[in-house]
Amino acid sequence: MRNGSILVLILVASFFTSCKKIIHLDLNTSSPQLFIEGNIYDHSGPFTVKLYYSVNFDQSNNYPPAVGAIVSIADDVGNSEQLTEKSPGMFYSSSWRGISGRTYTLRVNLSGKIYSATSTMPPATQIASIFFQKSLFGNELFTGIDFSDNGNSSNYYRLVYFVNNVQQSEIHVTDNRLSQGKTISYLIRPSDSAPKLKSGDKVTIRLEAIDQRVFEYLRTASQMRGQSASPANPISNITNGALGYFNASATRSLSAIVPQ
Amino acid sequence: MKKKLVIFCVLFQLVIISLFSQPRITISGQIKAASTGEDLIGAVVSVKEFPSLSVATNAYGFYSLSLPLGSYELTAQYTGYKSQTSPLNLDKSIKINFSLFEQSRELEEVVVYSKRRDENVASTKMGMVKLDPTEIKNIPVLFGEKDLLKTIQLLPGIIPVGEGRSGFNVRGGGSDQNLILLDEATVYNASHLMGFFSVFNSDAIKDISVFKGNEPAEYGGRLSSVIDLKMNDGNDKKFGVSGGIGLISSRLLVEGPIVKDKGSFIISARRTYADLFLKASPDTSLNKAVLYFYDLNAKANYRINAKNRIYLSGYFGKDVLGFGNTFGLNWGNTTATFRWNHLYSDRLFSNSSLIFSDYNYQININSGVKMNIISRIQDYSLKQDFQYFGDNKNTLKFGFNEIYHQIIPGAITAITNVSLKSLTNKYALEHAGYFTQLINLTDKFSAEYGTRVSLFNLMGPGSFYTYDTTGNIASTNEYSSGKFVKSYLNLEPRLSINYILNAENSIKTSYARNVQNLHLLSNSTSGNPTDLWIPSSNNVRPELADQFSTGYYRNFKENLYEFSAEVYYKKLMNQIDYKNGAELNFNENVESQILFGNGRAYGLELYLKKKQGRLNGWISYTLSRTERKFDGVNRGAYYPAKQDRTHDISIVGLYELNKRWSLSATWVYYTGNAVTFPSGKYVLDGKTMFYYKDRNANRMPNYHRLDLGATWIRKRTATFESSWTFSLYNAYGHDNPYTITFQDSKTDPTKTEVVQTTLFKFVPSFTYNFKF
Repeated sequence: MRNGSILVLILVASFFTSCKKIIHLDLNTSSPQLFIEGNIYDHSGPFTVKLYYSVNFDQSNNYPPAVGAIVSIADDVGNSEQLTEKSPGMFYSSSWRGISGRTYTLRVNLSGKIYSATSTMPPATQIASIFFQKSLFGNELFTGIDFSDNGNSSNYYRLVYFVNNVQQSEIHVTDNRLSQGKTISYLIRPSDSAPKLKSGDKVTIRLEAIDQRVFEYLRTASQMRGQSASPANPISNITNGALGYFNASATRSLSAIVPQ
Repeated sequence: MKKKLVIFCVLFQLVIISLFSQPRITISGQIKAASTGEDLIGAVVSVKEFPSLSVATNAYGFYSLSLPLGSYELTAQYTGYKSQTSPLNLDKSIKINFSLFEQSRELEEVVVYSKRRDENVASTKMGMVKLDPTEIKNIPVLFGEKDLLKTIQLLPGIIPVGEGRSGFNVRGGGSDQNLILLDEATVYNASHLMGFFSVFNSDAIKDISVFKGNEPAEYGGRLSSVIDLKMNDGNDKKFGVSGGIGLISSRLLVEGPIVKDKGSFIISARRTYADLFLKASPDTSLNKAVLYFYDLNAKANYRINAKNRIYLSGYFGKDVLGFGNTFGLNWGNTTATFRWNHLYSDRLFSNSSLIFSDYNYQININSGVKMNIISRIQDYSLKQDFQYFGDNKNTLKFGFNEIYHQIIPGAITAITNVSLKSLTNKYALEHAGYFTQLINLTDKFSAEYGTRVSLFNLMGPGSFYTYDTTGNIASTNEYSSGKFVKSYLNLEPRLSINYILNAENSIKTSYARNVQNLHLLSNSTSGNPTDLWIPSSNNVRPELADQFSTGYYRNFKENLYEFSAEVYYKKLMNQIDYKNGAELNFNENVESQILFGNGRAYGLELYLKKKQGRLNGWISYTLSRTERKFDGVNRGAYYPAKQDRTHDISIVGLYELNKRWSLSATWVYYTGNAVTFPSGKYVLDGKTMFYYKDRNANRMPNYHRLDLGATWIRKRTATFESSWTFSLYNAYGHDNPYTITFQDSKTDPTKTEVVQTTLFKFVPSFTYNFKF
């Protein structure tokens, strides 16, 4: 019931003397943690795998790349490829295409330490339509999509949202736990820093069918913005303590222009 | 276990025999307030000829003592009332009722008698506080809304869950480990408006007792504390109306006799009207919002004859939160208690209660999808208590309690566009029997000991699951209606010993075990109305706590000052936490999301109170540590629980300036909660993510605040009284953090920043009160 709490807090805050200020805290530091992000899709590559290290909170947002790794991707029917490091920490595949139903394995060898992850590509789901809806608070316009769930027992989806071809950074995931075999409506609540939609803007939504472990990773990652009593790192599908995820997903996209 | 029971039964027999073998004559009766007919709880009857002898009235104003043949002078005393003396010639058992008159409130005559002026030193009770709502009515409070649950947070060992909240933690326990009773009925969610107000309208409350884990055996069911609230009975002499009009709420109370001197009723109601301001707001996003709560307390009692009296009391409260017709969330408690007091003899007092308690919430969503969900926890309970007044050295209490729990975690009443199945309902029986004896072994040495035996049965119908280590269903068992799925039997011994060094000094020590079979699942910092209660089950074992405490008690200057120093050590077993990323909302397999661990809490509590005079008040200080231990969290080592507070200080001062003005101030200081702050960052698809190392390794900044209050009595005549109360919350405007969040800098995208949100600074309020 996060909505309820937020409503009360907004009301209490607007009545009384709530205020925000930027403070300085001496936070704990940590040794650099390896972060791995890899995505493969059901369209032709190249696909990328990104490797870099975390930094401390008070450092600037420049993340040092992890260079010199050996990175490979294999599927469950005998194909495999070693990726090429074209810029520091950025690895590229050749132009093959992912296939729904296959299980892909990512393997990263960094200075002799092996990190691996597997992901199975589900069948793609088409977006039926894009709609626009006014927000509860204010008169902001939100974007939403409708799509039909195929009725399988556990389907998981990620929505990647673009405004005027710029990818928005909020994570949006949903599943069919409450809507198996039905039409799923998903309304995107943008972050406070996201640009406000105006008429003529082009919005694009990429609907990714993802597997359960990728969903768990993204779901727990998206919870980090909430006021959890005990925040924790998202549950990664990569072994050996690396942060990040490896995702094989089938995607479909749809665009629309914000009306008058 | 069996052996213990045998020993217990033998002891019981011995006690009974020793009690019945004393040839004495009994005096018993009732102590009431002369003006209103309210029973006075804890009023003291003493005998001039036996200075060391005194007895206190029980929760229904009844007392009983026995003396040899002879002539005596009996005196009854109660805080704020003139004491009354009655001479008697004792040759047969006799009933003596007292009606005490209130002290005149002229300043020159301020002489206030405490309930028993040396109770702090003389009683066996420790870790226990009693508050009288009139005693604390001038303490300044947030929004001018008097709140008993916030006032008790100014006592040692009791800390708020957060700024301005009515929820609290006692001696390191969770906020669901407090048993809150209103006329014996469990109140499952004691807060309004997401926790900013408690459900208790202080007009309706006569008496509040707080036991910090050493409760006598008649109480049970929660690990850390019992908050026992008793509602006013109403005036059985004349009709009266009183009320108040405040910034955010108004309240009204009506009371009067049903049959003069025999029965009375009281109804009090309260409603907030914050939403009326919202409606006036030009902001279209705010003026569609609905947000209010109301509550209603009602009680009636009737004295059938000298031996029988009945009471009927109830509470009904509701919070309504919504936005147009697209979203609604309502929640509230209902309780009802029917009680029958019966005197089997002038020494054996009985109370039988039938109790109903209900907490429910409803969610209505109507935007795209339509969904109505009801969730409910409901208890039907029978409670039988006996109190046997022995030979003045002995009081025995024994009885039993039967509760039928019904939990409806989530029932769908209407739905479109979503396929959601109602969650399985849970049914359980809770049986308890108890026995406790208060015994004065010598003039210096007294003890209260006893035990509670509790049996919990989780019943079908339904499917019950076991889970493997990854949380997937390992096996499913079907149970038919009424069939026991799992039972837990627990013995809960309690012991408290007092050794009186002299009239001003005593030492006490106690041990108590408590068992809790209902557990609240909540993953928010301060509790939500939609948090879910789950019963003990095949996956969830009962929570257990053992508490040891010992203390030194001292009164000064003829009991004008009282001081206590207590230390406690508490061991907590089968504590509940959640797996990372746990899904607690509408999850049939919510038990698979839980981790089990242990905890420990220990501390020192100091309390100094000046009880009388123009300036009175108290200082309390707690030094404590609260830790938890869960496999898989912080490498299985003990770590600070979020409610761990190293230091906690409260100072309360009340000053009567003159006949019209009284002033008050409170100051609180405490160590910030243990929290988890990031210790690194990385980026995921353009979004800055934070890296967490150890749980609760950081601290919120220390908290402090001064509140000021003033009461001005505008007019006081024999038939009408009116007053104004003013308060200023956080008078020096300290920026106490409500939340601390981490985000990308708004001004420099290459940086991240820490943002502190403060809710309440300089919050003024005023209330107009009247009475006629």
